[in-house]
Amino acid sequence: MLILVLLILILPPTLFLIKVSIFTTKADGSFGDFTLRYYQQLFTGRFFFSALTNTAIYAIGSAVIAILLGTIQAIIVERTDTPGRGWVFLGAIISLGIPHVLYTVAWLLILGRSGPLNGLLLSAFGPQSVINVYSMWGMTLIEGVGFVPLTFLLMSSVLRSTDASFEEAAMMSGARPIKTFWTITLRMGLPGIMALLLLVFIRAFESFEVPALVGLAGNINVLTTNIYQSSKGTGAMDYGQSGAYSVCLLLIVVGLLYWYNRLSGHAHQYQTITGKGYRPRVIKLGRLRYVTSAILALMFMLVTGLPLIMLVFTSLQPFYEGVTPESFSRFTLDNYRILMGPGSFRDSISNTLILGASTSTFVVPFTALCAWMAARRKPGGWLLDQIATAPLVMPAIVMSVAFLYVFVNLPIPLYGTLLSVILASSVRFMPYGMRYAYAGVLQIHKELEEASMSSGAKQGNTFLRIVLPLLSASMVSSWLFIFLLAVQAVSLPLLLVGPGTEIVAVTLFDLWQNGQVTELASMGITWVSLMVVVSACFHMVTRRYQIMAS
Amino acid sequence: MDRNSMRSEKLSGLGLALMMGATMMLPLPALSLTTEEILNYRGPDREQILLEGAKKEGQVTLYCALIVNQALKPISDAFAKKYPFIKIAYWRADSEDIAAKLMAEVKANNLQADLVEGTGVGEMVIQAGLVQPYYTPMIEQVPQKYRDPAGIWTPTRLSYFSVAYNTKLVPPDDVPKTYEDLLDPKWKGKISWRIGSASGTSLFITNLRMAWGEEKARAYFEKLAAQKIVNFGSGSARTLVDRVIAGEYPIALNIFAHHPFISKAKGAPVNSQLMEPVATTAGTMVVPKGVKHPHASMLLADFILSKEGQTILSKAEYFPVRPDVEINETIKGVVPNLMGKTENFVGSEQLNKYTASSEEIYQNLFR
Repeated sequence: MLILVLLILILPPTLFLIKVSIFTTKADGSFGDFTLRYYQQLFTGRFFFSALTNTAIYAIGSAVIAILLGTIQAIIVERTDTPGRGWVFLGAIISLGIPHVLYTVAWLLILGRSGPLNGLLLSAFGPQSVINVYSMWGMTLIEGVGFVPLTFLLMSSVLRSTDASFEEAAMMSGARPIKTFWTITLRMGLPGIMALLLLVFIRAFESFEVPALVGLAGNINVLTTNIYQSSKGTGAMDYGQSGAYSVCLLLIVVGLLYWYNRLSGHAHQYQTITGKGYRPRVIKLGRLRYVTSAILALMFMLVTGLPLIMLVFTSLQPFYEGVTPESFSRFTLDNYRILMGPGSFRDSISNTLILGASTSTFVVPFTALCAWMAARRKPGGWLLDQIATAPLVMPAIVMSVAFLYVFVNLPIPLYGTLLSVILASSVRFMPYGMRYAYAGVLQIHKELEEASMSSGAKQGNTFLRIVLPLLSASMVSSWLFIFLLAVQAVSLPLLLVGPGTEIVAVTLFDLWQNGQVTELASMGITWVSLMVVVSACFHMVTRRYQIMAS
Repeated sequence: MDRNSMRSEKLSGLGLALMMGATMMLPLPALSLTTEEILNYRGPDREQILLEGAKKEGQVTLYCALIVNQALKPISDAFAKKYPFIKIAYWRADSEDIAAKLMAEVKANNLQADLVEGTGVGEMVIQAGLVQPYYTPMIEQVPQKYRDPAGIWTPTRLSYFSVAYNTKLVPPDDVPKTYEDLLDPKWKGKISWRIGSASGTSLFITNLRMAWGEEKARAYFEKLAAQKIVNFGSGSARTLVDRVIAGEYPIALNIFAHHPFISKAKGAPVNSQLMEPVATTAGTMVVPKGVKHPHASMLLADFILSKEGQTILSKAEYFPVRPDVEINETIKGVVPNLMGKTENFVGSEQLNKYTASSEEIYQNLFR
């Protein structure tokens, strides 16, 4: 029955995707003749191999950076008594709160030719040492660092649910903290790490903004920008190649998930939430904790601090000319004034909050159920997993067009309503919810559910009263993560909103197209502040109702 | 039939004819005109018919690419003030997205839009066969060269394209003033342009092909390709100008000529250089087939092209298409006619004709 719901939601855009890749699109948007030429163009284009190589390096590089930094942060935060570790959450939220494109732009401002870093290098070491951010390392770094909040949140929720008695045992047997982390903690967190690998790797293959903003200017093509360049020039909607690429990625995802499922068949290794009671304990580091504190601070600066400072700086400028002594004398609040003035910004805030909250609230419990069924090998569970993860490979704009066609043709007046945007948004973020939930479920030992059922509880009851509460840590992280992303989404809601259902991200996209980087920076800062406020409220709510397990 | 009945038939036939004649002479209340007739009506009582019809319709929806805060909202507010019985709703998006939405709506028979405006959207939907001709008397105020002979679109605003340069990186003596100046080897690797947009690389190429003819243009492009132009792939023309200001690229091609002027007014080290012929395009307005509120739609079209509507656009730093509306002081300096440069108006037909092949030239020479 769940499968039915999923199919209704996800099948239409998937079918659209497949159709778009095998039929030509006529001038009026309808489908023409069957053709395999998009696949052909994809694989035989002049730049295919170089783009493929670039994409692989980019994907692996950014995944490694993200997972490494995120895991280290998570271990330090969840397992040690490092002072100041709570701030890492704030850092993650701020990072996620900054619209991704703006986050990338902030990095380009820092590392660009006229940015402060090059300014320092120039004056210290001369013109030879100037770095060029429009390069492979620039792309990989920015994408990797942008994903750290995701990896951190997921790993921290995994670690929070992990019984620390294993680590205690190790340390009591004489292992030093680092060895303990390496052999015990990391192994325990393996389901989480694998989930992340899947997510981040596939996301990097599908990623477009960073390669377009950073790579293109350095003439580095990945597959997505390659497709973009060869199919968008005329301005007509030709998603054929895009669709073909996504279909290929879809097949890869199916394969990867199958492999992931096989591996997690040995999941009992990771089950640490057992009937014996668990208490994630914090390990006292002694003097080492100042080192870890410094590490956290450094990471905070890297992931969140630097871009944020850059945005604040830029938002106070009438125009951006690099960080020069004069620019400090030019500080002005004009950009904020323009933003706060009368206009659709304020009107669309409530729509936006509803969108984000509804998406999260639907996706998180729903994927928890699906993940549970998949992880417990219930009939049809693997299918649920596949279907719920499929949206990961679809470019947002293709999904948007797909949903546009679905809704505009429905006999019920769903077209142009906020509900339609919520539905599309839920589909888009389902894969994230799925991976969070799946990693969380793997840690729960079956014996708890078995005990429940042998005491007479039915499956549904078991799920609601045993599994869900134990999943709370991952669900809370997942909720916040999805909320922050859903409210930022632009390409997806773009075609689905109509007069009266404006949301902030789309309204601000207007600014993005026509505004100067200084106005955008002020918009980013305002937006982030709003997101921090919302997150703080959310945090208080979960505390109040003790939704978190510990 | 006997003689009597034939006679009565003739009489009734005559009576009928008389009645019809009499009815025709009576002033008829809004004789139901078809949508096509309403849209193209040129009679002296046009205003009245539109007002009455609009009262019954009560609403109008505009899909538009204008900036919301400065232009779209003021126009909407002013229109609502003038016609309080018409509820106006608008949706702002880029031209490609407007086209996508419109196509989906028309095909699903679920049309929401009554009027569509943007740069480039007109061309796309005309090609798709989704719009119909209409007439607004305001078009008489627009210079002939900007009009559509087929009467399917009307121009709403003009855009001029120029070269932007950073005044700190490009000394005044070195500023390239013609397209040929761009071939100077010292600019190798220092020029950028915007790809992936109809108003970026393809417009630049189309402009020169139209002005110089294929052969001369082709020779020029081959030399230009040797300059290794940087392909700026993400962001609008405005973003590219920001990059020039920041010193990332000394020169940028085919950007909106007025953007550097606006920044210059704030003290930014940037300037706009018009090169002959100056590529010029127009935003266009079209009416979709199956429009649900034709009367209100026409009133809105009239309004956007009226002096009041065009003045709002001018204040929002757009270039009005009516010569009797004052151009915004900040950006006057980019209007080719005022600066003694020839403009090359690239209209819908030319865009449809040249864009695909211009795009190919880009793919072959400049990637």
